[in-house]
Amino acid sequence: MSKFILFPRQKGLEGKNEFHGSIKMSGIKPREFPLSLSELKKTLQLALARGGDFADIFLEYRTSLSILMEEGIVKESAESLSSGLGLRVIRKDITGYAYTNDFSPEKLKSVALSASAICASSGASRKLPGRFRHHLPRGDITRFRMQAASRPLEEKLELVRRAYSAAMNFDPSIKKVQVAYGESRQDIWVVNSEGLSVMDSRPAVRLVVMAVAEKDGRRESGFCGGGGRVGLEYFRREMTPEFIGEEAAREACLLLEAVEAPAGEMTVVLGPGHSGVLIHEAVGHLLEADFVRKKTSILWNKLGKLVGSEQLSVYDDPTIPGFLGSYNFDDEGQKPVKTALIEKGVVTGFLQDWLSSRLMKKEPTGHGRRQDYTCWPLPRMSNTYIDRGEYDPEEIIRSVRKGLYVSRLSGGQVEDSGEFTFSVTLGYLIENGRLGRPVKQATLIGHNLDILKKIEMVG
Amino acid sequence: MKIEENNNFRQLAERLIDYGRAQGADEIEITFYDGREFDVEVRFGRIENLVEASSRYCFIRIFKDRRAASASSSDLNLPALRTLIRKTIKRASLSQPDEFAGLPASAPFKIAVDSLKLYDPEVTRMSSREKIKLALETERIALQDKRISNSFGASFVTNELKTVLVNSRGFSGEYLQTYCNLSLGLQAGQGDRLVEDYWFSSKRHLRELDSPEEVARKAVERTVRQLNPKKIKTSKVPVIFEPTMTSWLLAFLFTCVSGTAVYQQTTFLASRLGEKIGNDNISVIDDGLLPGKLGSRPFDSEGVPTQRTVVLEKGILKNFLCNTYAARKLNLPPTGNGNGHGVVPNNFYLEAGQFTPEQIIKSTREGFLLTRVIGHGLNPVTGDISRGASGLWIKDGEIAFPVSEVTIAGNLGRILQEVDLVGNDLQFENSICGPTIRVAEMTVAGI
Repeated sequence: MSKFILFPRQKGLEGKNEFHGSIKMSGIKPREFPLSLSELKKTLQLALARGGDFADIFLEYRTSLSILMEEGIVKESAESLSSGLGLRVIRKDITGYAYTNDFSPEKLKSVALSASAICASSGASRKLPGRFRHHLPRGDITRFRMQAASRPLEEKLELVRRAYSAAMNFDPSIKKVQVAYGESRQDIWVVNSEGLSVMDSRPAVRLVVMAVAEKDGRRESGFCGGGGRVGLEYFRREMTPEFIGEEAAREACLLLEAVEAPAGEMTVVLGPGHSGVLIHEAVGHLLEADFVRKKTSILWNKLGKLVGSEQLSVYDDPTIPGFLGSYNFDDEGQKPVKTALIEKGVVTGFLQDWLSSRLMKKEPTGHGRRQDYTCWPLPRMSNTYIDRGEYDPEEIIRSVRKGLYVSRLSGGQVEDSGEFTFSVTLGYLIENGRLGRPVKQATLIGHNLDILKKIEMVG
Repeated sequence: MKIEENNNFRQLAERLIDYGRAQGADEIEITFYDGREFDVEVRFGRIENLVEASSRYCFIRIFKDRRAASASSSDLNLPALRTLIRKTIKRASLSQPDEFAGLPASAPFKIAVDSLKLYDPEVTRMSSREKIKLALETERIALQDKRISNSFGASFVTNELKTVLVNSRGFSGEYLQTYCNLSLGLQAGQGDRLVEDYWFSSKRHLRELDSPEEVARKAVERTVRQLNPKKIKTSKVPVIFEPTMTSWLLAFLFTCVSGTAVYQQTTFLASRLGEKIGNDNISVIDDGLLPGKLGSRPFDSEGVPTQRTVVLEKGILKNFLCNTYAARKLNLPPTGNGNGHGVVPNNFYLEAGQFTPEQIIKSTREGFLLTRVIGHGLNPVTGDISRGASGLWIKDGEIAFPVSEVTIAGNLGRILQEVDLVGNDLQFENSICGPTIRVAEMTVAGI
């Protein structure tokens, strides 16, 4: 099964093909980086002076705001501003990296020298191209009219209060509610020694509710959250604060009635959305190209081979508008593409960043990601999902005599050797093709090669 | 790579505090962090990644009419920080008054920072070349073992961090600390039947770090012992936790005794203070003053002096661990565990017992020796535990065969009552740590 929340398309935002040290997109105020392209070029040239093959600089400016409400009051708000740059030098498959949040000329110089220390040989210095191609996003994966950062604080406090009372008033057994609002905006500028200069701006908003229900000495908690690369209008149209609050409360109340999960092997049906978590753990991480080229991933030699059921097709798409995992350019300045990982059970591709695609002689897929400027890029998933199958969801449940329907997963983990787990926070027993009692806290464990073959039906 | 002594963070902090007061803040706290990092990763005898870096941050907390707001910035220029302070005061006025909000009452810390031995000049003096050699050597030794089929690489990391904290109640303190970590990850097995594990040593002082031989030997041993695992039938058996496994169990206990979880009622231990919640084998301490240990520090993030706090004494729940806010909410003393908005452990450990790990295994007729867990099935509201696991099956006091793809399930409350043997192998490789323990009975779910 797979589910999409599709956002209504807005008119594409045109990128201008001219150069400034700032990001210009309609709706977003330009943000200045405290350095010019010529300073960055000079730094790149210095970084390559010891014989590196490639160098890039990643500049980041990130602002965020969070608001917390509990015990009936808005307790705290926090704002953070973080900026810095990371410089990478690559020679063959070796990466040298240095970062700083001090933009002074001396610091730029020392960063270039630290990162190029891996070369330490007197190779010929590679020349930078004379002209740099400067790119801004064409069209935009962010979907907003009311950018959170430019709206007054009162409006956000209102969302928080509404979610809080919705959860609190849902049922008398709700004893405690916590609401967290978070917004952030990350502006990046990537410049590399191949003459690329790219900027992207990535806003995000999130509203999360946790509710605790208590009855007869038993206590359970429920969660719900909504948001993405969207504006505040999302909480009017897609998911209202009331909906998020009530869902969290509903889950807490349901869990009060839940029984313990039975131990042992059984048929598992994953609800919409959650099949993505399965695939994230069972497949996604193992098709990230760094694990593949190092041959630590169990799937490294499976390209073109049948590893799963023919029902199964898996894609990773960083270009779905409004999704939290989406971006216009990756953290290496590459344009991302929707990538087929598995089609009809056959491994068809890997998630690539610049280095892996070069070492493996494959096309880059625009999956070079980093947490922030302190990290060098690695090929990582964006929005990974299982493509629609041919079955009706109800038909799937009807086909199971005895099993577990997973309603909410809280995460999972995988080892390169293929063993993975995921944690079920809310599920239902399936008995004779019908959903039965709710089930609390359980851990599912398996081996990915086994599981992929055992996928029987896709909704 | 020594942090320059002439960075006058204290003076800057004092100017910002004066400015904040003048702009209308009742109370204000300024913290500066200035850090250096070195990280080398080697794989198959070559450097794969090398990082050298520095970063600085300023954290600001403000209270006005019992309303709280905070901010952080990597831009340490005076005008930028002043702007941020003005915005933070304005934001504070939009939250709601909270009678428990505010800075801690000033309490001078009595210990000399130097006596904590948090800083090792050897770590900062060590050359890049020596650091790289250490990582290369560790991996080289491990790869001599023919059972090892692949390497995730070895890494050596060093950190140096300066913390400066000044607040408007007259607190002013600073300290320097170092950290170093040597680690190695390995894979063994053929085809689709692969196993993996790692080992590490982390310390504040270079001379206390385990040798490359020691780290390599442990990493190899931990990896190959999992080869050719079997599946087992679901059963209820004694479960032995290795020290790294006791650590996560204790981390879960920490969550459940943190003052924040207590006032939020998100822990099953919320109303149990003074009760016997574990058996006589369970004594748990939080101590911020152990010289040279990873979790030690002279004062917490709010300037509250750290201390030795008995959390559980022979199974009796003696204290919750509180930052200033949680302490006021619960009408308990703060324990020097503050960290930003939350509560963190200092050195949080289970006191060692008298048995060697070998004796514990020997005395187990049939059981499961837990060596690895994956997944996150921990629920502090109920104490329920459910995690993916692998380990070794024990039969007649001997290790019989490796076991994979099981889940272990239990409840922290019941586990604390059922720990029947405690090992003598307590090591402080983490800020949360414990020795080998045996739990009399848990469900190990297999096929």
